[in-house]
Amino acid sequence: MIDFELTSKDQEIIRLAHEQAEIARRYGDYYDKHEDELPPDQFPEAEGRPNPIVLAEETGDGSSGPRILHSLVMHEIYGGGLALHRARWGLGNTVLQTVATPDQFEKWKNHTIAIAITEPGAGSDPADIRTTATFDRETGEWILNGEKIFISQAQSADAAMVFSRFIAPDGSRGMTTFLVEKGTAGFTVGPQLKKLGIRSHDTCNLLFEDCRIPEFNHIKGDFKSTMSVFNDSRPMVGAMALGVARAALDFTRQKLAERGIEIDYRGGMRSRCAIADRFLRLEAAYEAALLTVMRSKWLEQRDVAPKVEASIAKAAGGKAARRITQGCIELLGPEALSEDHRLERCFRDGRIFDIYEGAGEIQRLIIARAILDYTARELR
Amino acid sequence: MISFELTEEQQLAQSMVRDLAAALRPAARQGDDREATPASVLDALWSAGIVQNQAAADGSNSSPILNALMLEELAAGDPSFAMAAGATMGFVSAIAAHGSPRQKNTLLPEFAGDKFRCAAVAIMEPDFAFDVAAIRTTAAPAGDGYRLSGVKSFVPLAARCDHFLVLARCDERLDAFIVDRGARGVDISEKKPGLGLRALETAAVSFDRVELGPGSRLGEPAGCDAQRLIDSSRAALAAIMTGAGRAVMEFAIPYVKQRVVHGAPLAQKQVIAFRLADMRIETDAMRWMAWKAASILEKRGDASRQAQLAYTYAGEQAMWIADEGVQMLGGHGYLRDNPVEMWYRDIRTLSVLEGAAGL
Ligand SMILES: Cc1cc2nc3c(=O)[nH]c(=O)nc-3n(C[C@H](O)[C@H](O)[C@H](O)COP(=O)(O)OP(=O)(O)OC[C@H]3O[C@@H](n4cnc5c(N)ncnc54)[C@H](O)[C@@H]3O)c2cc1C
Repeated sequence: MIDFELTSKDQEIIRLAHEQAEIARRYGDYYDKHEDELPPDQFPEAEGRPNPIVLAEETGDGSSGPRILHSLVMHEIYGGGLALHRARWGLGNTVLQTVATPDQFEKWKNHTIAIAITEPGAGSDPADIRTTATFDRETGEWILNGEKIFISQAQSADAAMVFSRFIAPDGSRGMTTFLVEKGTAGFTVGPQLKKLGIRSHDTCNLLFEDCRIPEFNHIKGDFKSTMSVFNDSRPMVGAMALGVARAALDFTRQKLAERGIEIDYRGGMRSRCAIADRFLRLEAAYEAALLTVMRSKWLEQRDVAPKVEASIAKAAGGKAARRITQGCIELLGPEALSEDHRLERCFRDGRIFDIYEGAGEIQRLIIARAILDYTARELR
Repeated sequence: MISFELTEEQQLAQSMVRDLAAALRPAARQGDDREATPASVLDALWSAGIVQNQAAADGSNSSPILNALMLEELAAGDPSFAMAAGATMGFVSAIAAHGSPRQKNTLLPEFAGDKFRCAAVAIMEPDFAFDVAAIRTTAAPAGDGYRLSGVKSFVPLAARCDHFLVLARCDERLDAFIVDRGARGVDISEKKPGLGLRALETAAVSFDRVELGPGSRLGEPAGCDAQRLIDSSRAALAAIMTGAGRAVMEFAIPYVKQRVVHGAPLAQKQVIAFRLADMRIETDAMRWMAWKAASILEKRGDASRQAQLAYTYAGEQAMWIADEGVQMLGGHGYLRDNPVEMWYRDIRTLSVLEGAAGL
């Protein structure tokens, strides 16, 4: 039955996540100014506090379900900008989980594995990657050469799942994934990249120079299976984007109230001041986008593996975060620009979500192809 | 518990109304041109049972969620026809939700039969920059009843209505009053077609010192929370605008695939394809917003915030969709041969209404 009310179990976990996000906020501010430092595995306050992501994933009856709840927990965490417990899961883990052999999975299941797809010449179109692995018959190893850029968790991860071209001994070619562990000769991680925002987010370039990889590390994710990990993560990114947006809205609502501008939902548009009207429209954009995230996650819980809905959720969340963080600063004026307040970081942090994991345009390509019944060749 | 699951009954009703809406679509242009809802359309809406379903004498059948689903489907066929059903639906569901037992028992059975019946909630007034926060119609205590004075505008199918539910100020608060069309002092003006929803036969209704009995106040004797009627109407309009936006999108998709310009189908140009993708994103988002408001109403919770957000968002997005819809068809979009210019007018109209339909 159609319902949008959170259960008491949902509320309990979300409250916990919210509380931790508020504690983490000051760490977020610290790492925003110290982008070369990596946040620790967990902060002191994490001691004795359960990881809300784990709680969300483990809930059964009495909750709205693990996928919905996980996304709502991420939504809270991004409201503060940093988790008290660092994520041990990377998108490389998702590839491992979906395509590795049981032996491979067993070996690396407790590693944090980054995903490395993007290259200087290939971002939105991963088919353009140049990183290549050739096979050395004598040693039975693959030799990897190439450069990956903008890789999340690059420094903190134990390994990277590298999307690469290959030339097999029989001369056949294709695309595949290799798991490259830290410390492998020929694999170097560059310095932290200097970004507009999300500065606590570990992001570096990776270099592979005659990097030798055992055959056992060939995970064999093809193009399709590698890209399909984003079906799950895209709505999650929408939820994260909206977490930042919500933090901006909460702050703005509070400051407007202090100035005597309360948001009245009862009257019509012509009974409220322009500022209240604009706030209300930003709030509506937030609510609307969050519901598209819920919809996608709800489908996922029913084993539907949504593709279009996942793209809708990411596109809606990414767009709303841009509009809302920009709009809130405009509503509060010059004082909102100060580093003493939350909004300037929200504005910078909130801009990433419409870029990574498939920019808004790429989500629109996916949606448009589906509704127009076009192939990737017909619409690109 | 968050869920988007439709019950079997809801699915059945949704697909039944979807078929009905498709069957009514061909009459839409005629309704617009002739400024009237064809009798055949009213009969078809009625025989589908959309309104009667809610008219069980104790009000227990009234379901805002089901109504939202049906209104979206109807509007995807034609927004005017959706409003024709939504107006009476608003009246009936208001009585079912807020009426006293006596009011329910006397009024609801009128709408349970198989003859078309019509009634409307009258909220808007003929003032520029009208706002529900500044309603001027008054109901002054008089004798053991009330004396109603004021003018209501944009009342759907006004000349066909048997009753009006009139929002008025009474002792500094808003209340709703059940007024029979035949009461002395009630004057229904000539229908006044405007920009859009031209088939809806809207008219102004004036109330010149109309004497009302004590039982006329909705939820007698205490009155009702009139804000809930406004919330219900905003949720209904959000559902209707979702359907109207869908109508535009679903019309544009085959058109731009087939229309070749500069050597390729229009749909293969990203500026067109991406706008369609945004239309899909926004119609989805509008729908969930309307559902959420409806589900709060269904649980009798405080829906003011959600209804306001759903209505405001739908107004913004549906207008954008209609605007881009006209643009995608170019000159053909501007001509009255295609329905898109009509929906463009209808959606501008819908997005500024208050109270003309309800869940
Ligand atoms: C902080 C951060 C973290 C990241 N983490 C990772 C990671 O962990 N792993 C990883 O592999 N990558 C990661 N990335 C890379 C990210 O996924 C890419 O930046 C993104 O996919 C866009 O690619 P690009 O930067 O090459 O832009 P381009 O592909 O050059 O795109 C530029 C612009 O053109 C638009 N565009 C592209 N193609 C089309 C088209 N066909 N039609 C219309 N418009 C188009 C894009 O939408 C974009 O707006 C990260 C990036 C950042 C900034």
